[in-house]
Amino acid sequence: MPSVSFEHVGKRFGDVGVVEDFSLDVADGELLVLVGGSGSGKSTILRMVAGLESVTTGSIRIEDRDITQLPPRERDVAMVFQDYALYPHLTVRDNLSLGLRLRKVPRTEIDRRVRWAGGMLGLDALLDRKPKQLSGGQRQRVAMGRAMVREPLVFLFDEPLSNLDAGLRAQMRIEIGALQRRLKTTTIYVTHDQVEAMTLGDRIVVLADGRIQQVGRPIELYRSPLNRFVAGFIGTPPMNFIDGSLESENGRAAFVAEGVRVELPVERMPATACSEPRTLGIRPEDLRIAAGPGSGTDALDAGSRGRVVLVERLGGTSHIHFDVGPHRLMASVSGESLPEVGDVIGVQVLPARVHLFGADGRAA
Amino acid sequence: MRAEERSGWLLTAPYAAFLLAFAAYPVCFALALVFMHWDLVRAPAFAGFDNVSRLATDTRFWRAVANTFVFLGIHLPLQIATALTLALALNRPLVFRAFWRAAFFLPVVISGAVVAILWNALYATDVGLINSLLARVGVSPVPWLTDPSLAMPAIAVMVTWKNVGFYVVIYLAGLQYIPRSCQEAIELDGATTWQRFRHLTLPLLLPQTILVVTLSTINGFQLFIEPYVMTGGGPLRRTFSVVLYMYTNAFSYQKMGYAATIGVALALIIGMVVAIQRRVIGKAEAQ
Amino acid sequence: MRLLARAALYAGLTFAAVTFIYPFLWMVSSTLKPPFEFGTLALVPDRITLENYRIMWSRAPFGRALANSVLVAGTITAAVLVLGSMTAYAMARLTFPGRRALNAATMAVLLVPGQLTLIPLYTLIVQLGWIDTYAALIVPYLFNATAILMLRQFFLQIPQSLIDSARMDGMGELRILFTIFWPLARPPLAIVAIFTFMGSWNEVLWPLLVVRDQQTMTLPQLLTVFALGGGAGTLGVSLAAAMVLVVPVVVAYMFLQRYFIESMAGAGVKG
Repeated sequence: MPSVSFEHVGKRFGDVGVVEDFSLDVADGELLVLVGGSGSGKSTILRMVAGLESVTTGSIRIEDRDITQLPPRERDVAMVFQDYALYPHLTVRDNLSLGLRLRKVPRTEIDRRVRWAGGMLGLDALLDRKPKQLSGGQRQRVAMGRAMVREPLVFLFDEPLSNLDAGLRAQMRIEIGALQRRLKTTTIYVTHDQVEAMTLGDRIVVLADGRIQQVGRPIELYRSPLNRFVAGFIGTPPMNFIDGSLESENGRAAFVAEGVRVELPVERMPATACSEPRTLGIRPEDLRIAAGPGSGTDALDAGSRGRVVLVERLGGTSHIHFDVGPHRLMASVSGESLPEVGDVIGVQVLPARVHLFGADGRAA
Repeated sequence: MRAEERSGWLLTAPYAAFLLAFAAYPVCFALALVFMHWDLVRAPAFAGFDNVSRLATDTRFWRAVANTFVFLGIHLPLQIATALTLALALNRPLVFRAFWRAAFFLPVVISGAVVAILWNALYATDVGLINSLLARVGVSPVPWLTDPSLAMPAIAVMVTWKNVGFYVVIYLAGLQYIPRSCQEAIELDGATTWQRFRHLTLPLLLPQTILVVTLSTINGFQLFIEPYVMTGGGPLRRTFSVVLYMYTNAFSYQKMGYAATIGVALALIIGMVVAIQRRVIGKAEAQ
Repeated sequence: MRLLARAALYAGLTFAAVTFIYPFLWMVSSTLKPPFEFGTLALVPDRITLENYRIMWSRAPFGRALANSVLVAGTITAAVLVLGSMTAYAMARLTFPGRRALNAATMAVLLVPGQLTLIPLYTLIVQLGWIDTYAALIVPYLFNATAILMLRQFFLQIPQSLIDSARMDGMGELRILFTIFWPLARPPLAIVAIFTFMGSWNEVLWPLLVVRDQQTMTLPQLLTVFALGGGAGTLGVSLAAAMVLVVPVVVAYMFLQRYFIESMAGAGVKG
């Protein structure tokens, strides 16, 4: 039985549709990440699970109980807010325990759970402090503790790391992931940061304009994006795109654009001879750079040359920005010997890693 | 710097002179007057502690103080409850929100004398509006201002009516500062509407509540125009106020020393009461 | 919010608003009713009469009192604005010895309840021979501590560069204050103007102490004396007198309510 189940959930504000036909099953104990830009509907979906937004169409079930019309307090979910939403007038201890006190949980049980959460999150020394005396990271932990202490059916995280600095964010990411694995509570996690999504999620849902673009495990989204949006959204640094067309004749197919020609393997050949517009996508890490113009015998780009415009040295990896004809591309390379700005370089592509997208954006 | 210093002195000299004449001197002289008998005609005479000892046993004075506590006993809870309720009702997107707020604030803007005269007419036993409305539902006329046990409560209700808009604005400002996410968090934590009010809204409104209590208390001790216009301090001295007594001593009896003594005593009482209130409320919130 | 709850809310608010507005409407209509009709609930009188107003106007110098109030409140407001800004400007932007003491004294003034200084001020007025003069009504209010603090607070925030460039242009301090600071300070000046004017317009206790002559009385004072002294005769006449005081305020309030609320609520909090 899925832990959380969305059936054709939709949300409208007046005439504006914010979420359209969202259907999904979340498995028990899974950490599901909803990722997308602003306006993608991810926070709205989360808040509909919490009961903070009403559901216009469809239904949401938790452990096979239809909660769509229930008020938040009856849903047995707990949420970690982006601004932590700690009660400013209460100590950490009271912040953690208020939810239990409201539900008349016995005193001894409250103390046990507070101690347990406090211990797991390293809050023992802070129990008598007030939120304004805590750092950002500590407040974040108290917010998580408050959710944990309730032992709910589902955890909801609403961009909990956005207000932290980069170093702290990376560290908390790891801690949240470890915590979730330990507690095994079903978790729905919203973020706009695709790195967070990739590292934390058992599965990721990519959203845009209120619709699901793709659902899958991180590696699936990385390797086999279903459309151009997902391809460009997932992966750092982002995928290179070249607009051109697919030419096929006499049993050979190639992607052609100005200054670019990529021979395609047999499997990618369309059924009939044709010439159709396509967009080619290739990840920076799947591009190979060779000093000097290409020999022309490699699988990619007979004779494709690139002129280097910028070299970003990041230590182990470096990003080479270069122009091929009118196209600006970027390659991610490792190693010590790097070209200089202005150099002419040969560009190679691993044909198996080439993505093609049709005019409608879908993978083809 | 010299030119700037000169300008600074020149610009603030009038104010400094003003403070000396109309602030510093009166305060000092008030304290001096406590120990004097003076009727403004003959020269002031030294009185030792006469005024103080007279005040300590002056039943009229202590009656006035007691009246003020009766007033506050009704006015304070009524004021807080009404202002808070109206503020909570207004704290959401409403169609005519500016209109409601302006309606409640209207009496604040009106002169106390006018309000007193108006409510004199409202409370009038025979032709007053309130009794006319009550007659409609079959209630016989209530002697609001002539019954000793009703007069001060009646005034308390009137003063609440006059000032509640002011405190609604204060509470509304305080409500803005309660983060929306905290309200959502407590809902998820399991709070009913009442629990959310009790555990989140009310504690976070504590600064505003303290302000309401303090200002209303000071206002209560300064009551003058209402008893002056409506009851003259009666019936049976039940609406007699401290400031009214002070005024009468100065204006009618020409007893400047004694009147000043009343003034000083009033200032001290106000200070003490406010300090105690702050302590008590602070403790209640720590629960 | 569910529909029923929302309807109940609006009903409740309407009822509350009615209790605040209705008495004024009743007051207006009562002044237009003949004595035998007084006390009826009808808002529109059977017979509209201006008799109450005629009586009121002929029995006491209300026109004169209105002029007195305008004079006193207007002068005080102008003085507080001008003198107050001068003082606030110096306290905010000029350095001179004694500045901090002045600041502390201003805040101390706010702590003293008016009742403490009432009697000594009265004796001072008597000794100065100012009883029944406009001086008695105006001079003690020429400077307002709340106004000075408010203006000072605002003046502190104006960038120093504006002052520096004005000084380099050869402007004197007063010039700077009135040509540069004042145009920028319209909001706080408006706020100060409103609560100062309203405070003076509604003030009753002080005039009752220092003015005996009906020709010098302010409007609320005359109204009080009139209503109490039996000159009114009937409630209708008293209310008619009250109307003179109230109507200008309500009219101004209808157009400027936002400013009134911001001004009087803000000043009250600081006081």
